[in-house]
Amino acid sequence: MSTDAPLLRVKDLAVRYGSAQALFDVSFDLSPNSALAVLGPNGAGKTTLARTLSGLVPSCGGSAEFAGQDLLKLTAPRVRRAGLLHLPEGRGVFPGLTVQENLRMALTADKQARNPGLERAFEIFPVLAERRRQPAGTLSGGEQQMLSLARALMVSPRLVIADEMSLGLSPKAVDIVFASLARARDNGVSVIMIEQFARRALDFADQGLILHRGRSSWSGPAQEAGEELLHRYLGGAAAA
Amino acid sequence: MLSYVLAGLALGAVYAVAAGSLVITYVASGVFNLAFAAMAFTVARFYYFLNTEQGWAIPPAAVVSLMIFAPVFGALLYAVLFRHLRLRSTLVKLMATVGLSVALPPLVQLVLGHLTNVTAPALAPRPLAVFHPFGAVLNADQLATYIGLAVVLVVGVGVLRFTEVGLRVRALVDSEALTSLSGTNPGRVSLGVWAVSGTLAGLAGILVAPTSGLSAEGMTYMMSAAFAAVIAARLRSLAVAVVVALTMGVVTDVVQKYLDPSSSFTAAVIPSVPFAFMLVFLLYYAVRGEAGDAVAGGALDRAISPQGGDPSLMRTAAVPQGRISSSSIGTLAVVVVIAVVPAGLDRYWAGLVAAGIAAAIALLSYTLVTGEGAMVWLSQITFAGVGAVVAAELVDRWSWPPLLAVFLGSVLVVPVGVLLGLLTIRLGDLYVALVTLTFGSLVQTLVLTQDPFYDFGSGQPMERPSFAQDNQVFAYLALAVFLLVGLVILNVRRSTAGLAVAAVRWSENGAKTLGISVIQTKVLLSALATYIAALGGGFLAMNFRYTLPDSFHPSLGLVWLAVLVTMGSRSIVAALIAGVVLYVMPGIFASYLPDKFADVPTILFGLGAIGLATHPEGVVAQTGANLARLFTRRPGWAGTAATTLTAPPDPAEAAPHDRSARGEVQQLPTGGQP
Ligand SMILES: Nc1ncnc2c1ncn2[C@@H]1O[C@H](COP(=O)(O)OP(=O)(O)OP(=O)(O)O)[C@@H](O)[C@H]1O
Ligand SMILES: [Mg+2]
Repeated sequence: MSTDAPLLRVKDLAVRYGSAQALFDVSFDLSPNSALAVLGPNGAGKTTLARTLSGLVPSCGGSAEFAGQDLLKLTAPRVRRAGLLHLPEGRGVFPGLTVQENLRMALTADKQARNPGLERAFEIFPVLAERRRQPAGTLSGGEQQMLSLARALMVSPRLVIADEMSLGLSPKAVDIVFASLARARDNGVSVIMIEQFARRALDFADQGLILHRGRSSWSGPAQEAGEELLHRYLGGAAAA
Repeated sequence: MLSYVLAGLALGAVYAVAAGSLVITYVASGVFNLAFAAMAFTVARFYYFLNTEQGWAIPPAAVVSLMIFAPVFGALLYAVLFRHLRLRSTLVKLMATVGLSVALPPLVQLVLGHLTNVTAPALAPRPLAVFHPFGAVLNADQLATYIGLAVVLVVGVGVLRFTEVGLRVRALVDSEALTSLSGTNPGRVSLGVWAVSGTLAGLAGILVAPTSGLSAEGMTYMMSAAFAAVIAARLRSLAVAVVVALTMGVVTDVVQKYLDPSSSFTAAVIPSVPFAFMLVFLLYYAVRGEAGDAVAGGALDRAISPQGGDPSLMRTAAVPQGRISSSSIGTLAVVVVIAVVPAGLDRYWAGLVAAGIAAAIALLSYTLVTGEGAMVWLSQITFAGVGAVVAAELVDRWSWPPLLAVFLGSVLVVPVGVLLGLLTIRLGDLYVALVTLTFGSLVQTLVLTQDPFYDFGSGQPMERPSFAQDNQVFAYLALAVFLLVGLVILNVRRSTAGLAVAAVRWSENGAKTLGISVIQTKVLLSALATYIAALGGGFLAMNFRYTLPDSFHPSLGLVWLAVLVTMGSRSIVAALIAGVVLYVMPGIFASYLPDKFADVPTILFGLGAIGLATHPEGVVAQTGANLARLFTRRPGWAGTAATTLTAPPDPAEAAPHDRSARGEVQQLPTGGQP
């Protein structure tokens, strides 16, 4: 791993929704051009971590520094403009906009040439090209996920947080998701991957972070996370 | 025939501009702009100032009013007010817009002067040119209206469909959270939308001024007619709103061809057209179960808003401990003061105080229906007006004793309220507000301002009971009745029925699973509230010895509500204070200050309701809680009071869409949301 200043440094992050605290003192570093797999059972706080970093929900303690900026002080649009792209859990598309308009929305933050981005997206996901004039809300769940992912691949952020992008997809589609994120990495994009396929995510990533009930219960280099460890923290089923 | 259609299209075009603007601001910023009429009036008045009073030519006056003044004004309103309302409940948002519509017109008149002659020219040059296409008649104002709508539609659709700005607006309509994740600042988009809505409001106002008059009332009528189109569009679809608005305009004018223009039937049918449209669409949607609260935003927006630890539940828990002792002392103090005051006053002031107490009785119906039932009914003042008329009729025609007429006559009004309650029972908050306001306008036009009820504004004579001829005695009589009604409401709150109401207020789903019939509770509530409103109306009429139909205008109902919520919409004593303030404050201004400031109280009332955006519990409740905190020594107690204070503005906002197990379990007192 590189020894440069980290791209993202999270320290003692705490988050609450109203009265219920969802994250307690979570800390980790992410080097430039690396990948982190965030694992944990349902309700562990993975999604909450992603939302907090992208400015969707406020934190109530700790710090997060991204490329020299205090992330917790930025609003969501500014976080995006600073180069952090969050692909939210579930169908992260605008249902009322067409496929093409969804992609155009993704480009509004980066004032770069529009057409290369669109072409790139349609090239990776030909199915989207076929449906470019269809409202995104009428796509199948898997197609919506592809569309969401395409939004990350057509621009070049510094960091992508992908929250359960493979959820509910066919095995072949899951392969596409992993391949796409690998391609992003090849282009120098760092990735925080929140995944249900723990083994696969750890193979993909350099670092691992396991959350449990809002706390970090294990973190370390991804290859050190053996079967036994996954069993202990995630239970049998999740360690697939 | 063609002439009627052409005239109807012009009317429909104004409705369409209004309805379109209401829809777009609603979907893009989550605020339903009841202040649209007030904004329309403001811009139209400004245009009148430039064009007529300053003698500017039409083009520069129109450009400055519509392209500079109106957008800046709309953006300003968003920046200082509506921006802060985004996450608030429908009730709070409506209250803020109500406050604005109350405060704005008199404020404008204070600055630009009162108009006595309210017919104003629109965008076409005077004298009005008249054209004869295909033998029909079309005047230049109507032509200008078509052009106005066409420009709005072409530019609007063009921008929304084909520009990046439009893309962002439509994205925002879909999901605010996703929009901001895409790097677009939703606040800025909303600001733009409000600026545009300022222009649209101004355009509608200027265009409608020659026919309905350059007055806040004329604009309010235009706006409430546009509500029908908005409801047809289910608050969301621009295209439907425009089409229905145009149809409504055409129907309104075409039916006139077949009616005798001098008959009173015609006079009744014309204003009912929008209401009939509204009724048809409402029934259609209600039957299909599609008129619930429009859920703003997408799945992500709901997922990130804090759920569970429902603050409302916490508040119900906190109230009985914290409030009872402090409020009973406070209540007693206020009642004693108001009871002592009339004794020391002369006839004039005692009369005003008595009027205030009578109004307070009617205000209690808002306390019941809005404070307890959390239903935004804007028609209570209309029930009061009808109550006054019914009582006066009974006294006048059947020689009933006045008190009996008021108490029994009010029963006759109840079915109307129940009917309205049943009609709106399955509707979301916003629909209820729109329907009740339109209903109020309709009754005002169809009944209260018609003879024999109107009689040049004084209405029918109404007697007082023989023992209460004196203002002071009458004030005490009203106070006694007020307290009686207050006790009834307290009992409703405490009894099982009250529990049911509380349950309905916090969560319809929750109440359903508890096995409480929501319908029954709501009907009971609307029946009782209607009765109380009518009772208050009867007392007002007795006080003034005339029914004074104009004093029950729906736009005054907004003032009533504004004052009430400013004082606190859930407290009995707040209603008393609100009623007295409502009549005494204008009295003070009228007696001791120059005429120019006569409207200042209204402005203050409106500003008070706007202040609600920051102090949602109302000043009395707020001050009460503060005092309670000051005087208490018991730490646990103080803790609760403090929680009550820091509780988030509004219970309904946390009303979960999917009430997960988590939400049901965590009912403990908590610190509320961040
Ligand atoms: N809007 C909200 N309001 C209140 N609590 C919430 C909200 N969103 C999440 N939570 C709670 O925060 C905790 C963490 O949720 P989060 O969605 O981060 O979990 P997760 O690790 O992503 O789970 P999953 O694997 O199921 O996606 C949970 O207990 C959840 O109930
Ligand atoms: Mg999750």
